[in-house]
Amino acid sequence: MEKNCFKSKIWISVVALLVAMPIFVVAFSWALPEHELWAHFSENILSDLISSTLILLLGVGVGVTLLGTVLAYLVVMVEFPGRKWLEWALFLPFAIPAYVLAFVYLGVFDYSGYAQVWMRETLGIPGFDIRAGSWAIILMFVLVFYPYVYMMTRASFKRQKINMIEAGRLLGASPIRVFFKVSLPLARPAVAAGLLVTLMETLADFGVVSLFNYDTFTTAIYSAWGDFRSIEVAAQLASLLVLVAFFLIYFEKKARGQAKYYSANMANKKPYHATGIKGWLISLFVFGVFMLSFAMPMLQLVIWGWSSVADEWSAKYIDLIASTSILTITAALITIAFATILALPGRCKQTSVWLQSVIRLATLGYALPGSVMAVGLLYGINQISIINIHFGGESINHIIYGSIALLLFAYVSRFMAIAYSSIEASAQQIKPVFTQSARLLGASRMRLIWQVYLPMMTPGILAGGLLVAVDVMKELPATYLLRPFGWDTLAIQTYELSAEGLFERAAIPALIMVVFGALLMSVFQVLDKKSSKSA
Amino acid sequence: MNIKTLVSSTVMFSILTVSSITAVQAATDELVTVYSSRKEHLIKPLFEAFTKDTGIKVEYLTGKGGALIERLKLEGTNTKADMFMTVDAGNLWYAGSQDLFQGVQTDTLKSNIPAYLRDPQGLWTGLSVRARTIVYNTDRVQSEELSTYADLATDKWAGRLCLRTSKKVYTKSLVSSLIHHHGKDKTADIVKGWINNLAATPNAKDSHVMSAILSGQCDVGLVNTYYYGRLMDKKPNSPLKLFWANQNTTGVHVNVSGAGVTKYASNAKAAIQLLEWLSSAKAQAIYGSLNKEYPANQNIASDDVVSAWGSFKQDDMNLAQAGILQADAVKLMQIQGYR
Repeated sequence: MEKNCFKSKIWISVVALLVAMPIFVVAFSWALPEHELWAHFSENILSDLISSTLILLLGVGVGVTLLGTVLAYLVVMVEFPGRKWLEWALFLPFAIPAYVLAFVYLGVFDYSGYAQVWMRETLGIPGFDIRAGSWAIILMFVLVFYPYVYMMTRASFKRQKINMIEAGRLLGASPIRVFFKVSLPLARPAVAAGLLVTLMETLADFGVVSLFNYDTFTTAIYSAWGDFRSIEVAAQLASLLVLVAFFLIYFEKKARGQAKYYSANMANKKPYHATGIKGWLISLFVFGVFMLSFAMPMLQLVIWGWSSVADEWSAKYIDLIASTSILTITAALITIAFATILALPGRCKQTSVWLQSVIRLATLGYALPGSVMAVGLLYGINQISIINIHFGGESINHIIYGSIALLLFAYVSRFMAIAYSSIEASAQQIKPVFTQSARLLGASRMRLIWQVYLPMMTPGILAGGLLVAVDVMKELPATYLLRPFGWDTLAIQTYELSAEGLFERAAIPALIMVVFGALLMSVFQVLDKKSSKSA
Repeated sequence: MNIKTLVSSTVMFSILTVSSITAVQAATDELVTVYSSRKEHLIKPLFEAFTKDTGIKVEYLTGKGGALIERLKLEGTNTKADMFMTVDAGNLWYAGSQDLFQGVQTDTLKSNIPAYLRDPQGLWTGLSVRARTIVYNTDRVQSEELSTYADLATDKWAGRLCLRTSKKVYTKSLVSSLIHHHGKDKTADIVKGWINNLAATPNAKDSHVMSAILSGQCDVGLVNTYYYGRLMDKKPNSPLKLFWANQNTTGVHVNVSGAGVTKYASNAKAAIQLLEWLSSAKAQAIYGSLNKEYPANQNIASDDVVSAWGSFKQDDMNLAQAGILQADAVKLMQIQGYR
């Protein structure tokens, strides 16, 4: 038994420490202190940045939690007109990169956008600067990131036993009371997981905040690097972000408490039926969210794309689509493979503080802004080369830099948190009794994994894979810096055009990305339905 | 299949992908490799024309300037890049100061590009000139009201000014030039005045500044002229005009986009050939027509659209200053709260 534990410790540690390499590189930056720049930052900008970052996190956190859980509850527990397709349509905003949504929104709602022009000219309402303050950017992030909470909470609601809801109903509780007293507490781990991903993503964002010119902590990181050419201070600041992420994870764990929610699949019947005007009001609300977060921006993209398709479309797009697909699929497969190794249930893991810590480390990359992660990897490889040369070997930089392997490594490091939290959530659903009976029947660990754990974890693995795939497809900064020659992606094309203000042309690659994302989503939909039938 | 097979097949797959790409890259004739922070749609037509003229293929990788510089530094002697191309004199100066370029001074370059647009040691060469000046709404502002960058900080523009973010390198270089001419204290006052006059949060892009001016959110702003050129190309009737700033004083702030041959270029000969070609009249005309920039080669005329904006006096500050003063400029803007 002990030997067994040793083996799994080695396996998990190797995988986790490898994935966490950029985190170590960033942490080592403290070896090179730079007092002057720190003095300037802390004297002049840090306090403002910290408070604006906190406001953003708070607003986005509250927003996505409310919107995500309410939507998930409605589509899972209540029958209302249009529920079936809205349940899936609500995933779609996830396919739009945040910076794309941001430039569309600014194009429509900024002072010079149609919406405000119409308001001023038709309604006589004076125009205003939507980028002033933080409400607009908070709303923006909520519309982009609510699918994380929605997706995870929806899965959790689906697993809730119908008899608990029934019990609540029989006791005379209103649907709203059941939501707060039964469903929400049961879904707490899922809500926390979705919230965590959202907050880490918000912390690391650079695209949306630069379009809105809203300063966050990430602004200071880029300023240290871009303005003051100090990669060290940038890394030091980034390590603070990682620290924040670490605490967020800690609180998430704490919020979850010791409780474990084992559950069975719920019947397909909806506990509540909203009929008449109530039903239509619910439809209107859910449809409204879908309109704002997906349909409206899509319409704008289509209008822009239509006007520029002749200028922009060329055979090059075949290449872009091919590179994007290969990167997306390969990175998703590797990430979920690693995440599954980390998330498999096991006795050794539960008792070992070491294992739990290294696994946590492996998921922190999500809080690093993509460019910092990318440069961290370059530095990490460079250190390995230096050590190698020290021992009489050769530099490996020229082999690794600009290879697809390094880029895939970056994706795995960056998106491990998403795959892991999704897969781990499904691993937590496995009742110990399964493991015990399998053991009693003399099943080996391998058989246990292949015949019990993996089938039961399939929904989580699929969801994790999908989320990672869509995120990789949208990823910009790491891809931009690390990609090999000729591996331009749709995200890069979108960025290059929009950075020059050519939004009409940028709409073409953006639209292809959305279609691609929607395709991934529908594959997931089919698989998810299959797995929930067979489970 | 067990977990080991799964993992090993995943690893095999990635290795295969990597090696197939390396194989593709190896099969090329004469090739020059460029890292560029100029966007693909602006450089590709140039490189295609070069290949047509010389038979030398150009392989390029676009990226953000700072990130590419970092990558070049770390790649060191093993870099694939023969040339690094970027926008802004500050970036070029910084790449030079990090010892990433080799000195190139050929007769062709000397006769094509004036000295003030080249690094004194030939580390980099400016290939296009961009002017950053005042743009205004002709319905709401008379050109007589306008004069200098500093004037935009005075009370008469309160609530009428739109600016691009201080994070953009063009703003940083402009403020560097103000520090160069006026010193830090005066520049701090100018920046403070600008901020007091802002009608909206500083915009992310020059194109947004112009949209804001057109929609009446503000009346004046500062833009690089080629953005103005693109907008007027699309909407020729816009009530928007350029005003050449500081004509009675220091002249319009200009910047460059440019390139240098990397220190560890494996094909420096072809890279120099490309650099010379880019400075030629033919390439310079493409620069002008593609992006409405001013040619760095003074022997050729600007694009017709560009010439129609009129001639102007340029700031003759040595462009290396923009790089040297950049950190001061950023500090100053951050202290004044210019986002």
